[in-house]
Amino acid sequence: MHIGEERVGGALVIAPEGRVDSVSSTELERLVVSRIDAGEKRLVLDLSSVEYISSAGLRVLLMAAKRLKGPPAALVLCGMGPSVRTVLELAGFLPLFAVEAGREQALARVRG
Amino acid sequence: MEPVSTRRLSVPATDDGIRAALDALEALTASHGLSKAVTWPVGVSLDEVLANVVRHGLEGRGGEATVDLEMRLDLGVEPAECEVVVVDDGPEFDPLSVPEPDRALGIEERPIGGLGMALVRRLMDEVQYERRDGKNRLRLRRRLVAMEA
Repeated sequence: MHIGEERVGGALVIAPEGRVDSVSSTELERLVVSRIDAGEKRLVLDLSSVEYISSAGLRVLLMAAKRLKGPPAALVLCGMGPSVRTVLELAGFLPLFAVEAGREQALARVRG
Repeated sequence: MEPVSTRRLSVPATDDGIRAALDALEALTASHGLSKAVTWPVGVSLDEVLANVVRHGLEGRGGEATVDLEMRLDLGVEPAECEVVVVDDGPEFDPLSVPEPDRALGIEERPIGGLGMALVRRLMDEVQYERRDGKNRLRLRRRLVAMEA
């Protein structure tokens, strides 16, 4: 799986591409954990290039949200297409996350 | 074009096997011009089912164990239908018997896990489990229409 990364100011944007399934989600998890362990506090997950996400990927999102809870840390999701949004909705996950439409709004929000 | 297109394959009970199965589903649906906008629920559900089978049912048997798949596309109906049957010879286990996680819990209390089959139930039109000839047999079926929650 290709995972894009871009640093914008004090925030890091992580953008996985393709399927976030039970196999590829371990790659995403490894990357997110390593960035948080390295001290990253403001994370944007841009999901605009994700084809679909299964529960293994949701677990990575949940783990990241738990670890980045409360100021000054923050996690914001953006770029959700219908498939990603539907899975989060069906799982009852949408209320658990800060969600913005695009990357610019997400960056504004994650900076507080 | 034949109205019904099928693909049978066996994959090892490993991560590579899961990847191969998901790739095969994509190849089959794409070869008939079906958009990912309508096929993704089947992909998510197949991933959930295979992850359960590989990580639990056949755990520890590695590359020796295999999972048999039968994918079937019916293009003779409107909308087209996709059916996937997943067969494994692990211990008897009905994934539909797993209780649903409590969606009312907040982010701190939300357990990690237990979500997969809840999603499959909501994404598929039909899910059937059967223990036959010493094997678990799970059948998933969905009409390929766009879906939004």
